[in-house]
Amino acid sequence: MNSPTIDTDEVLVDCQSVWKIFGDKSDAAIKAVTEGGLTKTQVLSDYNCVVGVSNASFQLRRGEVFCVMGLSGSGKSTLIRLLNRLIAPSLGKVLVKGKDLARLGAAELREMRARHIGMVFQSVALLPQRTVLENAAFGLEVQGVPKAARNETARKALELVGLAEWVDRYPSQLSGGMQQRVGLARALAADPEIILMDEPFSALDPLIRRQLQDEFRQLTKKLGKSSVFITHDLDEAIRIGDRIAIMKDGVIIQIGTAEEIVTNPADAYVAEFVAGISRLHLVRARSVMGSVADYRSRQPAVSIDQLPKAAPEADIDELIGLSMQSERDGIAVVDKGAIVGIVTVRDLLHGVKGTRSAAPTAGAPAS
Amino acid sequence: MDSSALTDMFDAWIDAALEWLVDNGDFAFSLLRSMLEGFYDGILWVLDLPPFYVVAAVFAVLGWRLMGLGSGLLVGAALVFCAAMGLWPETTSTLALVVTATVLALAVALPTGVVAGFWPAFDRVLAPVMDLIQTLPPYIYLLPAIALFGFGPATAMVATVVVALPPALRLTSLGIRLTPVEFIELGQASGMNGWQMFYKIRLPFAMPSIMAGINQSLMMAFGMVVIAGIVGSGGLGQTIYEAIRTLDIAKAIDGAIAIVVLTMVLDRLSQSGAGIGQGAQP
Repeated sequence: MNSPTIDTDEVLVDCQSVWKIFGDKSDAAIKAVTEGGLTKTQVLSDYNCVVGVSNASFQLRRGEVFCVMGLSGSGKSTLIRLLNRLIAPSLGKVLVKGKDLARLGAAELREMRARHIGMVFQSVALLPQRTVLENAAFGLEVQGVPKAARNETARKALELVGLAEWVDRYPSQLSGGMQQRVGLARALAADPEIILMDEPFSALDPLIRRQLQDEFRQLTKKLGKSSVFITHDLDEAIRIGDRIAIMKDGVIIQIGTAEEIVTNPADAYVAEFVAGISRLHLVRARSVMGSVADYRSRQPAVSIDQLPKAAPEADIDELIGLSMQSERDGIAVVDKGAIVGIVTVRDLLHGVKGTRSAAPTAGAPAS
Repeated sequence: MDSSALTDMFDAWIDAALEWLVDNGDFAFSLLRSMLEGFYDGILWVLDLPPFYVVAAVFAVLGWRLMGLGSGLLVGAALVFCAAMGLWPETTSTLALVVTATVLALAVALPTGVVAGFWPAFDRVLAPVMDLIQTLPPYIYLLPAIALFGFGPATAMVATVVVALPPALRLTSLGIRLTPVEFIELGQASGMNGWQMFYKIRLPFAMPSIMAGINQSLMMAFGMVVIAGIVGSGGLGQTIYEAIRTLDIAKAIDGAIAIVVLTMVLDRLSQSGAGIGQGAQP
């Protein structure tokens, strides 16, 4: 899961305490919510306004895939539309590449959307009267790139998604998965740094979905793109997200890596979500290990040097393999030559079950 | 009675308004009349210049390109049939009248429909006007037209334009208004300006609706052109009207058959033209 060697500290999208309230009296509602602390249901009954996004803050860094996971009505689709200002926030700021979207003029905003922010839709939205190639070249056409040049770029983008043979077909001749690849190629052809993915794979069948998830992740990493990816499927978020934000009722409840969220859910809602997730490849040695001193006090007879050794990044699956080959009941976790902890069989079982044996380690919820 | 006094007042007012228009707008209406007749005469001149079989052949080729060989031959045969009934001059003048009136109606209806599609308030004002035009009996328009333009094809054209306006206008407005939301979002997210959004997104999606409107306007124009025989439109309408006046039933039926044949030809041609407007979708 390592990112290529680019400046991963650079913040591309900075979402600062953003609110979106829909309705005629949204101005009054926003005041009541921020000053009076009204709940979502109170706002609905008192002001007839719907809270879409409530005080959301996060940052998208260069090169990462940031997943926003939530059920329908959680505000995730509203959130992603705030990032390219298809929806203007009621309160708060969205900065893209350091520029406040609210302060851009109409032409600057168009320029920002055309060159720096690509978007892929759940509905795909391919123009039915245009060929696959013309659809893929659409963004460049809008920018006024001459036909030969934009077709060339679009052709390359279609090659990237494996549709080189289909350029002259019409969208209606393609399967759902292929249509979504065209949608991705259209976003890639304009070569934006940021790609907004609005539940792109939700309507596809499971096998195709998984294939596209893997391809999407490989492609974004290879091209060094950054992406905000909306999904209602936690498996999908874990599969492709470097970091995941969990949303409920317009609020971001927790932000963290898949491992952090699975091993250390912020509340009962998140815990319920992650309950069914397999931890074999998610939980790593460093988050289940106990301290060396602890192990010594319980097993004074065992020499720690003779235990099998594993890296802190080794996952549960690997650790189970190691402990099955060994007669001892512990695995030493070695970081930079020093033993930093011991994983016992009991720790492993806790790791698989998702319960906690040692004191909590990494994974505090981000603010 | 109070109400009849009111009605008399209203009628007097209408008469006065029309009279005022005739007295004061004479120059403008004469100018408009000669423009309309010039347009009509031009088209008629083109249609009457070659012998009937050349015109039939041109339409046959058009039908072949748009609909295929069989339909093309049928179109050609239909026109030859009109000529065979001895009604060729009437057929061309009806054709010229319908085409000029429809073109003029579309020249007003399409842009107005686009504006109404973008601007719901304007659409709400137009809706009752269109309702009125469509519910009034069509020959109502002949009277004021005859007062302003006199006896002849110009009057028939004005009345026909009025009747042909609503379908194209309404369906254009509807088509523009009903652009799918996801494509509007696509346009915005791609950084489109308003003009690009119009001709690259809204117009292509509105095209089937607009084409249906054009076809319907054409059909309305056909219906009106026959009625307009009363005011000396010339063509098949007048043939039928005069045959009815002299109780020449055979002649009236000849004319009616020619009208039906001609209507079908133009209907099919314009519908298949609409298919092409929707873009090459296999």
